[in-house]
Amino acid sequence: MIKNWIHIFYYNIKNNKLFMFLNLIGLSIGISGLIFAILYWNDEHAYDAWNTEKSKVFEVINDMGENGEWYTNPAPLGPHLLEESDLVASYCYLNNWYNGANIYYNGEKEYSEKILDAQSNFFEYFPFDFLQGDKASALEPNSIVLSQKLANRIFGDEDPMNKEITYSNRKMVVKGVYKLNEKSSYKPEAVINAIDERLKHNEDAWGNYNFGLLIKLKNPDSKEKVAKQMETIYYKNKLEPSARDLGITPQEYEAKYGGFLIKLQALKDIRLGTINSGVAEGQGNRQFLLIMMGVSILILILSIVNYINLATANAIKRAKEVGVRKIIGATKVDIIKQFLFETALMSAVAIVISLVIVELVLPVYNDFLNKDLVIQGGLIYTQLVCIFIVLIIMAGVFPALYVANFETLKVLRGNFGRSKGGIWLRNGMLVLQFAIAAFFIVGSYIVYQQVQFMSTKDLGFKGDQIIEIYLRQKNPEAVFQRYETVRNEVAKIEGVKEVSTGIFDLGGGARSSSSFEYKGNNIQGQNMAMDFGMLEMLKIPVIEGRNISTEFASDTISSMLVNEAALRVMDEKNPIGKSVTWNGEDLKIIGVVKDFNLFGLDQDIPPMVFFHVKTIDWMQYNLDKVFVKIDASKMEETIARIETFWNSKIDDEYAFNYDFVNKKYERTYMQYVNQKNLFSVLNIVVIIIALFGLFALASFSIERRMKEIAIRKTLGADTKHLLITLTKQYVVFCVIGFLIAIVPVYYLLSGWLENFVFRISISVLPFVIGFVALLVLTLIVVLGRAYRAVSLDILTYLKYE
Amino acid sequence: MIQINQLSKVFRTEEVETKALNDVSLTIKEGEFVTVMGPSGSGKSTLLNIVGLLDSASSGSYQLLGKEMVGIKERGRAKIRKQQIGFVFQNFNLIDELSVYDNIELPMIYNGVASSERSKRVQAMAERLGISHRLKHYPQQLSGGQQQRVAVARALINEPKIILADEPTGNLDSKNGNEVMELLTDLHAGGATILMVTHSDYDASFSQKTILMKDGMVMSEKQQTKNIDIVVNS
Repeated sequence: MIKNWIHIFYYNIKNNKLFMFLNLIGLSIGISGLIFAILYWNDEHAYDAWNTEKSKVFEVINDMGENGEWYTNPAPLGPHLLEESDLVASYCYLNNWYNGANIYYNGEKEYSEKILDAQSNFFEYFPFDFLQGDKASALEPNSIVLSQKLANRIFGDEDPMNKEITYSNRKMVVKGVYKLNEKSSYKPEAVINAIDERLKHNEDAWGNYNFGLLIKLKNPDSKEKVAKQMETIYYKNKLEPSARDLGITPQEYEAKYGGFLIKLQALKDIRLGTINSGVAEGQGNRQFLLIMMGVSILILILSIVNYINLATANAIKRAKEVGVRKIIGATKVDIIKQFLFETALMSAVAIVISLVIVELVLPVYNDFLNKDLVIQGGLIYTQLVCIFIVLIIMAGVFPALYVANFETLKVLRGNFGRSKGGIWLRNGMLVLQFAIAAFFIVGSYIVYQQVQFMSTKDLGFKGDQIIEIYLRQKNPEAVFQRYETVRNEVAKIEGVKEVSTGIFDLGGGARSSSSFEYKGNNIQGQNMAMDFGMLEMLKIPVIEGRNISTEFASDTISSMLVNEAALRVMDEKNPIGKSVTWNGEDLKIIGVVKDFNLFGLDQDIPPMVFFHVKTIDWMQYNLDKVFVKIDASKMEETIARIETFWNSKIDDEYAFNYDFVNKKYERTYMQYVNQKNLFSVLNIVVIIIALFGLFALASFSIERRMKEIAIRKTLGADTKHLLITLTKQYVVFCVIGFLIAIVPVYYLLSGWLENFVFRISISVLPFVIGFVALLVLTLIVVLGRAYRAVSLDILTYLKYE
Repeated sequence: MIQINQLSKVFRTEEVETKALNDVSLTIKEGEFVTVMGPSGSGKSTLLNIVGLLDSASSGSYQLLGKEMVGIKERGRAKIRKQQIGFVFQNFNLIDELSVYDNIELPMIYNGVASSERSKRVQAMAERLGISHRLKHYPQQLSGGQQQRVAVARALINEPKIILADEPTGNLDSKNGNEVMELLTDLHAGGATILMVTHSDYDASFSQKTILMKDGMVMSEKQQTKNIDIVVNS
């Protein structure tokens, strides 16, 4: 039986080579798309899945209303919580960022970019397997615990246990070695326990949000209750005393400065959670993952629709075979089995081809996602089997049922070729394909427009030819003096035009943010500490008053500038000369800075406060880079000269590290550029698959209508008339498909655009372009096919049908 | 009306060259009813197709209404087909997807007849052929005889100068076949020029002139003497 089936299958492939081939390729591309998406999906969902504590551990997040979410917490919160709540098992303060530094052993240095500072119970929260040492006691002040890889890099074959290393001028003893789990929200190469010291300095500082905080609950269901408890603790310890100091009631304080809102996010939800999170490894891109899944499923549906369309259209040609089989005794079930068998064969081949495609494209895909995905592990193979079964059901069952229900006699009498069976379904699916194709064309054009908008938008500053060089501090007492030396020396280098510093990142914001009060308004400003000449270098204009200048002694003592956004909140028409009490210091406004994009284009321009680094003493502790503007014509040699100077005079421990201001800012929307590129590729794939489906369907449909064409020709229809007759319905389908796509594309793309504060509004243009493109492609395919049909010799079809 | 001179049609395949028509000469006058007979492969259908401008000749001359037809382009042929020629086929060749009304109307659409005029003419034609009550039906719902009436109605709707019938009774039983032949006879009596291909001596007996073909050549041409009325009454 199976041999017989295979013979017939083989015969059909041989006789429909082109269609079979295209159908198979379409299906393979569809499946590979889904495999890509699944690999990404699996990888993201593997995060923290290994962690036995994942449901009990929660990240503490502060919702600061219009000032966003803060992932850091004040030091006294944890101890208070543990004391007052019997729902909490423990807490663990840790940095939610890594330190990158050299570790010295025996005079050799080894650079690690992921050193984490955490409390000693960190390994109860992230229970990595310990190869050496005791998990419970390894982490203590002056000890360091290393990942196996880093231990190997530092010690080679030597046993690292109890060896002394130097890190950040401190001697530390290795007390443990752990095996890192790759899919973790914290993935440190080394863990130290210096944070306790800093916590102690801040033990009553309710206003210093400096530390990441994880808590472990006895029962995960009590998370809402615990969040409430924390809010109460804030209320009692922070809000009430502050209100008392100001001589107002707590209610008045809350109305003015806002209350406290705590969100707890379980570790298991952090990677792909809907709540933003501040863990060191960052979150996965949930939206993009969903887009990938949705898009790949759409593409797969598209190729399955092609398959069904072709299979049913082709089945008409095979009606006689089915009729004969039935007459010699095949039951409906036999016929269904045979056609399912064929679909199974096709699907199996398609899956194999798609695995080849995935294998070939995976490196590019990995580059794109910045991951190391591989086709490996039981999960993906189980999923492949599922895909296989779903394919057989979706692509196989309908054609099989369709064929099995042919009426034997009708078929054998021979006029079945013009039967209308299944035509509605096929046309319906064609409309669906048009809708999907229209969705992609319009959608990717809108994405393209937004990316184009971002890359050409006037940001309010000019970062051309400016590099920022990372300056590691040595002596915390003389940070600014060291910077001044560096500045003066670098300025002498040939090709250097300007040197200055600013304690902020363009695209990332200032290093600190403080609030101040003016006319009863509370302004949460970005602290834009800088040296003279910084705004000039960035070509950021001062639109009122003046910039800070070396000519005024007061400019390093009490002068400040604000930007337009801050001014709006301050509600001040004539700001120049006005005094502001800022963190206990009296500062005088000397100028207004024009608004510019400090954050990425997904965020609004924040209120900003500008002053010289020296004005506020503690600002200098965040000074860690020097901005240098370089002559455009001497870019390379100048950077080389700076590097030589740097390595010999400034820092011989760490490699010279710099970045272009422009490029750094571009990286804030790089992921969207990538998305645009991905959509362009997918767009082409979708259009190709859809057009092929259209081509095949039009071919079959026109073939079915050859006799009608012949009759019409006999009656005197000329070519133009015939082409219109044959093309008309496809144009109608195209229009219907396009109309169906309009609402989803508008709705979903509006949602996508909401990622950006600075965005385009969806215009008619993408729709016009999408419609015209779709229509033109449709006409090309169908007219081409129809023209060929019309040019054929009509006599054959009149006579021998 | 039709003047055919030394007309030849050659079919070539890789190995064989077949002369379907071999120097055929023939004249059909206006108002004549001519039958072509002959065994299968004698070239009668090829002749009809060439006369109907569905096929082209390899050599020779074919004049329709005084104009040379050999060598004109498809566009020109389509124009003459829709204006001057009506076809009736053995297997009716109706479009199954269109209703009887739409089928009959179709040639007028291609001829650019105004919509109101079309409707009037379809009604009149249906009346004449006794299929008024079937206009909304689809071809598959009709009997063979009715289908052939629809085909005839469609052939006549543009008032063509000549009607070409290719075995019009071939797919019909004798009763329906008779009805169709009577219809053609009536048309002839009304002045139509008819060229009919048939296997049936009986059908041929309705015509004025019978051309006998064999191996692509005209073997004989004879005038009918039979009185049509006698047949009808028998």
